Amino acid sequence: MLSYLAAEPHAVTAAADGVVHSTAWLMIAYPLAGAAVLLLGGRRTNAWGHWLAVAMSLAAFVWAALSLVQLLGLDPAERSRSVHVYEWLTAGSLTIDINLLIDPLSITFALLITGVGSLIHIYSVGYMAEDPGRRRFFGYLNLFVAAMLVLVLADNFVLLFLGWEGVGLASYLLIGFWQHKPSAAVAAKKAFLINRVGDMGLLIAIMLMFGTFGTLAYAPVFASADAAGSAVTTVIGLLLLLGACGKSAQLPLQAWLLDAMEGPTPVSALIHAATMVTAGVYLIVRSGPIFEAAPTAQLVVTIVGAATLLAGAVIGCAKDDIKKALAGSTMSQIGYMTLAAGLGPIGYAAAIAHLVTHGFFKAGLFLGAGSVMHGMNDEVDMRRYGGLRTAMPVTFATFGIGYLAIIGFPFLSGWWTKEGIIEAAFASGGVTGQVLGWAALLGAGLTAFYMSRVMFMTFFGERRWAADAHPHESPRSMTLPMVVLAVGSVALGAVLVYGYRFALFLEPAVGAAEHHEFSLATLLTSWTSLTALAFMVAGVAFAWVRYARAPVPRTAPRGSFVTVAARNELYGNTLNEELFMRPGQALTAAAVSFDEKVVDGVVDGVARGVRDSSEGLRRMQTGFARSYALSMLFGAAVVVALLGVNLV
Amino acid sequence: MNPLPHTALAAPVITTQPPQIDYALLAPLLVVFAAGVIGVLVEAFVPRPRRRAVQFTLAALALVAAFVLTVVRVALLPAGGAGLTVASASIAVDRPTLFFQGTILVMAIASLLLIAEHRHGESAFAAQAATVPGSEEERAHVLAGSQHTEVYPLVLFAVLGMLMFPASNDFLTMFIALEVMSLPLYLLCGLARRRRLFSQEAAVKYFLLGAFSSAFFLFGIAMVYGYAGSVNFAVIHDTVAAGGAGALPGGGPLLLLGIALVGVGLLFKVGAVPFHSWKPDVYQGAPTPITALMASGTLVAAFGALLRVFYVAFGGSVAEWRPMMWVVAVLTMVLAAVVAVTQRDIKRLLAYSSVVHAGFVLTAVVAASAEGLAGAMFYLAAYGFTTVGAFAVVTLVRVHEGGAESGDIASWAGLGRTSPVLAGSLALFLLAFAGIPLTSGFIGKFAVFEAAVSAGATPLVVVGVLSSAVTAFFYVRIIVLMFFAEPAEARPRVLRPGRLTGAVIGVGVVATLVLGVFPGPVLDRLSPAPGAGTAEAQSVPGGFATTADLFANR
Amino acid sequence: MDPMNYIVLAAIVFTIGAVGVLVRRNAIIVFMCVELMLNACNLAFVSFARMHGNIEGQVIAFFVMVVAAAEVVVGLAIIMQVFRTRRSASVDDANLLRH
Repeated sequence: MLSYLAAEPHAVTAAADGVVHSTAWLMIAYPLAGAAVLLLGGRRTNAWGHWLAVAMSLAAFVWAALSLVQLLGLDPAERSRSVHVYEWLTAGSLTIDINLLIDPLSITFALLITGVGSLIHIYSVGYMAEDPGRRRFFGYLNLFVAAMLVLVLADNFVLLFLGWEGVGLASYLLIGFWQHKPSAAVAAKKAFLINRVGDMGLLIAIMLMFGTFGTLAYAPVFASADAAGSAVTTVIGLLLLLGACGKSAQLPLQAWLLDAMEGPTPVSALIHAATMVTAGVYLIVRSGPIFEAAPTAQLVVTIVGAATLLAGAVIGCAKDDIKKALAGSTMSQIGYMTLAAGLGPIGYAAAIAHLVTHGFFKAGLFLGAGSVMHGMNDEVDMRRYGGLRTAMPVTFATFGIGYLAIIGFPFLSGWWTKEGIIEAAFASGGVTGQVLGWAALLGAGLTAFYMSRVMFMTFFGERRWAADAHPHESPRSMTLPMVVLAVGSVALGAVLVYGYRFALFLEPAVGAAEHHEFSLATLLTSWTSLTALAFMVAGVAFAWVRYARAPVPRTAPRGSFVTVAARNELYGNTLNEELFMRPGQALTAAAVSFDEKVVDGVVDGVARGVRDSSEGLRRMQTGFARSYALSMLFGAAVVVALLGVNLV
Repeated sequence: MNPLPHTALAAPVITTQPPQIDYALLAPLLVVFAAGVIGVLVEAFVPRPRRRAVQFTLAALALVAAFVLTVVRVALLPAGGAGLTVASASIAVDRPTLFFQGTILVMAIASLLLIAEHRHGESAFAAQAATVPGSEEERAHVLAGSQHTEVYPLVLFAVLGMLMFPASNDFLTMFIALEVMSLPLYLLCGLARRRRLFSQEAAVKYFLLGAFSSAFFLFGIAMVYGYAGSVNFAVIHDTVAAGGAGALPGGGPLLLLGIALVGVGLLFKVGAVPFHSWKPDVYQGAPTPITALMASGTLVAAFGALLRVFYVAFGGSVAEWRPMMWVVAVLTMVLAAVVAVTQRDIKRLLAYSSVVHAGFVLTAVVAASAEGLAGAMFYLAAYGFTTVGAFAVVTLVRVHEGGAESGDIASWAGLGRTSPVLAGSLALFLLAFAGIPLTSGFIGKFAVFEAAVSAGATPLVVVGVLSSAVTAFFYVRIIVLMFFAEPAEARPRVLRPGRLTGAVIGVGVVATLVLGVFPGPVLDRLSPAPGAGTAEAQSVPGGFATTADLFANR
Repeated sequence: MDPMNYIVLAAIVFTIGAVGVLVRRNAIIVFMCVELMLNACNLAFVSFARMHGNIEGQVIAFFVMVVAAAEVVVGLAIIMQVFRTRRSASVDDANLLRH
C-alpha cells in the first residue's frame, strides 16, 4: 500500500514534542476562529469584532514566538520536526495526514506573517474606523493569516495547496472589498484569473510529483528528487515556477499586482507586499532539492527573477499613483528574491533574509502611503502631494526610514540583505553570474531612483494639494505600527546577516552552503558593495534633479554634495539625455503599455475566446428533439468507430 | 435462466426446480416495491383529503426502512470477499451495490422531502396534469385544491428502478431496471405546477430520447448476447477472458458493437457528451424536486450500472473500450464546461454542471482499478448531497410570492445581502462543485484524478484540471453576483424555507463540509481494505487480479 | 439458410427505425419508429437464441415486449397531454427549452 503523505521519518511523538510544538495547530486555529466568529457572528460582533481579530492575530504571533524559542532550544540537527495533527484522508492506498512542519524556514515565515500581520491588524483599526464593512474586513484578514500559516506550516504539497488556494481566496475577497468601485471588482476578477493560471501550474506539478514519487510529503519527495532524472524534475520545476510566478507577480504573470492596489491599503501592505506575494519565493526555496536536480529550471528561475526585478523597477519609475509605484517596487524586490532562490543553496538564505527585511520596510512604506492617503482624502496621485513632511512628521520619519532601507542605504536592513543577493549572484560564477549580478546592481540604481522620486514628490517640494485637502497626522493606532516597522527596517538586517546568523539558522531547512569568513570590513570594501553604493547615489541624485530640484531650485537641504555629483554626471549632459533618458522613457512607456495591452489582452482574449465558443456551442442546443437524436446517433457512430478501431 | 451448455440446436431444457432466493438480501427492494403498490391502492381507497399525509408517511417510512435494511445487509456479507449474488445470479449484493443503494436512498429521502414541501396548500406539482394549461378547467382544479398524490408511488417505483440498476448482474435485469426507473420519471417530469408548457416539453423530449437510447442499449445487449450466448455478466467476462472460447465463432465484432451500443445507452443516462443534450432541457423543465431526484439518484444509479457493466462484463476488454471512454470523458469535460459559461438559467447551469461532473467521474471509470471505483463512489455521494442542496435552494427563489421559480441568474444579484444564510449555503454548494479544498468536492476530485493518474491517464487529468478551472469561473461568478453586486431591479422573492426544505439544505451543507473535512471514515470503507484479499492477491495493486473481482458476480 | 441473415435483417430494421426517428415530425410516428427498433432487437435476440441453442434470448424477447407495452402507456399519455395543450403532435413545435 503506497501511502501518500506518510509522516516524515523523524516525526516525533507528541510527548517528546513539547507543549508548544505539539499544539502548533493552535497558531492556525486562533485566526481561523477569529474569522469564523466575525464572518458568522453578524452585526452582534460589530462593536468588538476588530479587537478580537487583533487579539487572535497576536495570539498566533505569541505561539509562533514560543515555537521559535523551543526550536532554538534544540540541537540544530533536530530542528526540523513534523507534528501530526490529524488524519484528513485515509483509505487503503490513500492517506493524507495533516502534519505541520516546524523548521527554521517555516517558523521564520510564521513569525513574519503573524508579526507584520498583527501590526497591520492594529493599523487597520484606525484606518478602517469609518468603514461600514470593518467587521467583514477583519474577518477576511484573520482568514488570510490562517490560510497563509497553513501554506507555510504544511509538511506536504496537498496542504500547501490548500493554503495556497486559501490565501488566493482571501486576497480576492480583499481586493474586491470596496465592491462599490467597479475598478475594484475588475481588479479582483483579474487577480483571480491570472492566479488560476499559476494555480494550474502548481496543481499539475503536484500531480506529476505524485505520479513520479508516489507520495506528496516533502521529505520523501525531496529525498528521491535526484533519482527521478533531470527531465522530470525540470518539468516539475518549471510548473512550480509557473505557480510561483502567479502568486508572486513575476513575469509573465505579473499584471494583477498593480491592479490589486484597488484594495484597502493595509491589505496592500500585508498581502500584496509583505507576505502572500512572497509565497512563490517560499515555494521555490522549499522545493530546493527539486530545483537543484534540474539546473535548467534553476536557470529559468534566475532569468525570471532578473527580468522581473528590472521590469518592476521600470514600471515603478512611471507610475504617479503612490501605491502603484510601490507595487512596481514590490515586483522588483520579489524579483531579487526569485533570482537568489534560483541560485541554489548559496542564494536561499539571502533570498529569505531579503524577504524578511522587505516584509518590514515595504509594509512600513505601504502603511506610510496609507497614512498619507488617510490625511489627504484618499488622494493617491503623487502629483497632488508635495511638502508633506511638516504636516505629517511621524509618517515622514517612518516612511523615510523605509525608503532608506529599500534603496540600500548602508547599515539599514535593505543594505545587508540586498548585498547578500548581489554577492550571491556574482559568486554563482560564469557569464550567467556576471549578467545576473549586473542586473541586480542596475536594479539597485533604479530602485534608488524611483523610490527617491516617490519620496521627493510626496514629502518635499512645493505643496500641490487639492483645494480641500487638510493633511494631518494619523491616529496613534496607525502610527504605532509604522514606528515598529521602521525599527525593524533599521535593525533587522544587521541582526540577521551579521555573522551569517540567519543563514546558519536556516541550514537545517534549506541545506548548507559555503560561507566565507565574515567581516564587516570586507563587506564594506568589496567592489560589489561599493558599486551598489555608487549606483544608489546616482539614482538618488538623478531623482533629486528631476523631482526635487527642478520645481524648487532654491531650496537645497541636506546632502548638497549629491546635487553636485548629480549635476556633473547627468544634468546638462545632452548626450546622456539623448542616449539614455529618452530611450529610457520610451522603454518605460513601452513596459507600461505592454503590461496594459498585451498581458491584459491575453487574459481578456482567453476569457473572450471561451465565451465566444460557449455562445457558438450554445446554439447547437437547438431545442429540437430530433436534432438531439441526431447528435446521439452521431455520438453512437463515433463510439462504434472508436471500438471498431480494435478490429484493424 | 442459467446458461445452458452450448449444445447446438438442442431442445431447450426447462427445469421445474424453483430457484432458491435469499429474500433477506433483496429486502430493501421488496420494501420499496411493496410501498409503491400499496401507494397505488391508497389512491383507490383512501379519501382524497387524507391521501397526501398517508402517501407521504408511507413513502418516507418505506425509504427509511429500506435504508436501514441496506445498512443491516452489510453484516450479511461474508467477510473478506466481494459479496453475494441472489436470484440465479441476476442481482449482485456486494459492497458497491450497498454503497450505491444507500446513497440512492438517502438522495431519494432528501428529494422526497422537497417533493412533499407544501406552501399554502401548493406543491411543486400540477393540480391536475390532464387539464390544458391556462384553461377554466385547470383554474377550477387549482381553486378546489386538487393535488396529484400519485406522485408518491411514482417516485417509489422510480427509486425501485434506481436501486435495481446498479445491482443488476445480468443485462436483462439491468434493462428492466432501466425502464422501471425511467418510465415514472418521464411522467414526473411533465407534472410541474408552473410553466407547464416547459414541463410537458421536457417530458416529451426526455421520453422520446430516453426510448431512443434504450433501443440502442437493447440492441447492444442483443449483440453481446450474440457473442457470448448469455447476458450474465460473469459468463460474458469469462467468455472474453477465455479468448472467445464458447463464443459465437467470428463473434469478435459483435462484442465490440455490443460494448459500443450498451455504452451509448449508459452514457445517455449519465449525460455524457454527445449524449447529454436532453439534460439541460429536462432539468430546466421538470419540477425542481424531480430535477433534484434525477440529478442525484438517477446519476448515482446510472454510474453504478456503468461501472458494473464496464468493470465486470467488459472487464476483460478494458484495452478495447478505454480509448472510447477517453474521448467521451474529454468531450464531456471540455464542451460542457465551455457551454456552461454563458448559461443564464440557474437550472440549466446546474444541468451543464452535472454533465461536467459526469465527465470527472468518467476519468475514474477510465482508470479501471479499485481506486477508480472507490473514487467514483465517493465523488457520486459527495456530488449527490451537494446537488440536492443546490436544487433545494432553487425552489425557494421565486419571481414573486406564490409565483414560479426565478431561474434567471441575473435576477439573483444581491441575494447575499437580502438572504445571507440561503445565499451562503448556495455559495458553499457552488464552491464544492468547483472543488475548493475543505469541501467534499475537492476530496472527490482528488480521489478520481488520483485514480486516473495511477492508471496512467495523466493527460486526461490535465484536461480535467483545466476544465475545472473553467467551471470554477462560472461558479464564482454566481457567488460574486450574489454577494458583491447591487440587487437587481426586479428582485426575486425569497421564500422562508419550510421545515422540509430547510432540513434538506441543512443536510446538504453539513454533508458537504463533513465529507470535505473528515472524509476518512467514508473513504476508508470504500477502498478495499488492506488484507481483504489473500496474501498472494495483495501483490497485485489494490489486491485484485481483475476489475471484475471488485464486484460479486457469481 | 444462414441464421446470420436474420441478424442482418434485424440490423436493417433497426437502422430504418433510427432514421425514422430522425426524419419524422409526428411524435406518434417517432415513437412507432422507436418500437420498430425494439422489435429489431427482439428479432436479433431470437435469432441468436437459435444460433446458441439456448432459450435466454427468447425469454428476453418476451420481457422486451412487456416493457415496450409499458412504454406505450407512458408515451401515449405524455404525447396526448402535449397534444391537448398545443393542438399539435409535431415534435418540432416543442422547442421552448433551448440554448
